Amino acid sequence: MAASAADVRSILAIPEPPVAGSSQPTKKPQGSERAKKPDGIPRELYALIGPHAPTLAAQFTKPRLKQKPNLGAGGRVKWEWRPFKNGARSDGLRLSHWAKAGTDTESEYQFAKYNVQGTPYVYTQDEYTRLLEDSSWTKEETDYLFNLVREYDGRFFVVHDRYEYPNGPRRSLEDLKERYFGVCRKLIRNRPWIGDEAGKKAVLDSLTFDKDREVARKNYVASLEHRTPEQIAEEDALYLELEKLKENERRFKKDRDELLRTLCGIESGLPDIHADEDGLAGAAFETKRKKKGVVGSVEPQTPVTPSANTVISLPQPQPKKTSAKSAAYDALHCIVRTEVDQTSSSTKAAHVPVHLRSYKVAQPKAALAPRVSQLLGELGISHTRLVMPTRDNLAKFAALIDAAQQLVEIKKAVDKHDQDIQTTKARLAALRGETVEEGDAPETPMDVDDGAADADGEGDGRAQSVMSTRSARSRRQGRRSMSVSSVDTAGGPNKRQKQR
Amino acid sequence: MQSTSTKPNYGGDEVAALVLDFGSSSLRAGYAGDDTPKAIIPTSFGYLEEEAASNGDVSMGDASAPEGEQLQAPKPKAKLYIGQNGPSLWRRGMHVANPMNDGLIQNFDTVPPLINHALSEVMRCNAAEHPVLVTEAAWNTTANRERMAEIMFEEFQVPAFYIANTGVLNAFAAGKGSALVIDIGQSTASVTPVVDGFVLRKGLQHCALPQLVHAHARHLLTSPSSNRPGIQLLPHQLIASKMPVDVGVPPRFTLREDRIAGTTDSWRAWAEAHEVDEWIQSVGGCLVQGWNEQFAQQQGPRHYEFPTGYNNYFTGLERFAVGEQFFTHSTQLQASNPNLPKTIPALIMSSIGQTDLDLRQVLLGNVVLTGGGSLFAGFADRLATEMSRQFPHVKIHAPGNPTERRYGGWLGGSILASLGTFHQLWISKEEWQEHGKAIVSQRCK
Repeated sequence: MAASAADVRSILAIPEPPVAGSSQPTKKPQGSERAKKPDGIPRELYALIGPHAPTLAAQFTKPRLKQKPNLGAGGRVKWEWRPFKNGARSDGLRLSHWAKAGTDTESEYQFAKYNVQGTPYVYTQDEYTRLLEDSSWTKEETDYLFNLVREYDGRFFVVHDRYEYPNGPRRSLEDLKERYFGVCRKLIRNRPWIGDEAGKKAVLDSLTFDKDREVARKNYVASLEHRTPEQIAEEDALYLELEKLKENERRFKKDRDELLRTLCGIESGLPDIHADEDGLAGAAFETKRKKKGVVGSVEPQTPVTPSANTVISLPQPQPKKTSAKSAAYDALHCIVRTEVDQTSSSTKAAHVPVHLRSYKVAQPKAALAPRVSQLLGELGISHTRLVMPTRDNLAKFAALIDAAQQLVEIKKAVDKHDQDIQTTKARLAALRGETVEEGDAPETPMDVDDGAADADGEGDGRAQSVMSTRSARSRRQGRRSMSVSSVDTAGGPNKRQKQR
Repeated sequence: MQSTSTKPNYGGDEVAALVLDFGSSSLRAGYAGDDTPKAIIPTSFGYLEEEAASNGDVSMGDASAPEGEQLQAPKPKAKLYIGQNGPSLWRRGMHVANPMNDGLIQNFDTVPPLINHALSEVMRCNAAEHPVLVTEAAWNTTANRERMAEIMFEEFQVPAFYIANTGVLNAFAAGKGSALVIDIGQSTASVTPVVDGFVLRKGLQHCALPQLVHAHARHLLTSPSSNRPGIQLLPHQLIASKMPVDVGVPPRFTLREDRIAGTTDSWRAWAEAHEVDEWIQSVGGCLVQGWNEQFAQQQGPRHYEFPTGYNNYFTGLERFAVGEQFFTHSTQLQASNPNLPKTIPALIMSSIGQTDLDLRQVLLGNVVLTGGGSLFAGFADRLATEMSRQFPHVKIHAPGNPTERRYGGWLGGSILASLGTFHQLWISKEEWQEHGKAIVSQRCK
């Protein structure tokens, strides 16, 4: 019924073990490996265990965790209980302790060396009368103080605690320290000093004690300690407030720097301007580089008028004189030499890396982009992609974009001015009660294109009548601005018509 | 001494010194260098007067009894019962006395038998072969410590003697040289500022606060309240048999009538105090966040059964009111009792107020809580709460191990007396004979 070992083997597809005869020699070495009977087991019991339960037998063997460290050339160290002489004691008390047997019985006690005494300052009667007289201290009390300081090894807190000079005045800790250090300083100053001056100065420095300062400090500490919880809370609140203000200031400064950096670039004078090689810098860089790289090099003789929004215009690089021969060569091989700007060549920001021309297609400004693209769309030009980005094409395209931008900007300005005129008119009408009936116009914002013309005429005349009290100059200015706007608006529809 | 530089050096050098720590509840004795005392015997002892005739108190010699209160002193020839089987065994006509009062030894006549019992009977050692370190309370008198030195040198023939302060030793046991030691014993609570191993005597504060707590608990138990009658504090030694009863039901037990007559008042008082202490230790507690009646009520009742068989659930209100006595006194109690012992926070405040401003940070950063009384449930947490309310930076060292907490003084003595550098401080017999009593104050500062 019970499965034999052979069955198990056949089930598990384990190869048949060697026959009994051949198994003997393999078992032998196993037996010899743990041939030694472990301690603590009777021989008979060990024989019963036989070779079949090695794990059980292992439990009886002593656990061997680690090789025992061999301390001091092996061998047992003998210790003996023996009396010793303590050098730090003045009497002959001999206590006993355990010591190594071989060692010197009368060697100096190991801990005696820690019995160090500070050098006490002592003075003679003569020195006292000559140097140390003090109206508030008697010699007896000074002696008492010095004894206490010696007794408690200069622990002034303890000295002060134990200070009970009979019939003496109440002394504060500072009084005691001042007297003690004062006496010591005087003694050192007036005694011949063995050693160098620096050493003497160091000792004197170690003995300085400024009583007034210490008292002031203690008073300050006491006042700190006696704060009410409200005061502490208020102090904390103030501190938090201060931190907030500081943080605000930091943020403000950071923002300002950021703004300066984007607006002025290197000219801002900020130290940590980082320059990017691959056109990822701010918008200001982009435009500058574009102008220099595309516009400046392509048409150096006829520079495109810088658009109104570019605040800073770098000096245009002067074209180098090229020899006729090389010019001819360049023309033949279509080589265009861009000029390197000598003034700002040292900074990274001015550096224009090598690029494909098509990568540098002029882009309208982000703010104007929708309007410009709408405009170009009306013209039937795709501004996102140039089929043939030759140099001339690019230049023309850039000029076109520029023109479109200018157009859009001027249009915007016209709209704004018209709006201003309308609102001013409305205000004017409101101020002049009699012209309320005409006030229907300013309430609704007029369409710029057609409304501008009649508004112009009316506004002009009315403004003149209104501003009769004003100076002629301001009136002229006003009129001029009007005329400009009227001209521009006149140009607007014209263009539109053309477009149509 | 090359070997000492290679192996860790703890500065220890054991000379088989003995450490004796006297407390109000127990006397601890053991070898210096051990971590727990070998012998812990109750300080209270029983005695039988052999002749009841003479009633005059024995004069205690020179200046050992300056205090007005005279304790019940056993007669010189009285039979003493000391140790674990001393006062706790009922004996006909046995009185119980305690040589300690206010943390000091007041009756030195019974000190030698107590020490002898601890050293010879329990530890089985000969005091004449060992230097002995004895502890004392910080407010011990010069006469007292000199008397102790006399006993050790003259009666026990010790080769060397030293008397050290429990406050300092408790600080040492916590591994600190400077500390504010708050020691709650059985009869006395003390706050001791220790700086560099010296007690600042001006900042030392102590009072009998634990006795007030005990009295409060006793009053609470014995006086009848709305939900139960007063509880009889009968010890099990006087009860012959009892029947199990339901909660709150009057107990059914029979007294050992034969013993009632032979029971002395002092033994009865001792036994009742024992019962009260047992009750306090079982059910008493401290509210961590300060007294809050509602919160105390929510803590739930705890069951306790007295030796008479009476058992009841004690509400949170009762249990925590006991511990609250350590920290606050009711205005009613204060009004009726002008000499009330100071509360623990008041003790700490007045102690800290007496110390130098520069020391306060050091002391408050090293507060050591010790003493068996501080094992009161929730005591350490409550103390931390109270102190952090008063002072900004407080760090409390309270050993979690009850043995360390209860025998902190002994442990510190064990550490001190096994230091190699300490052995120069022992007062040797030779010095004692040469200088007399003056050497004690001179050496043990």
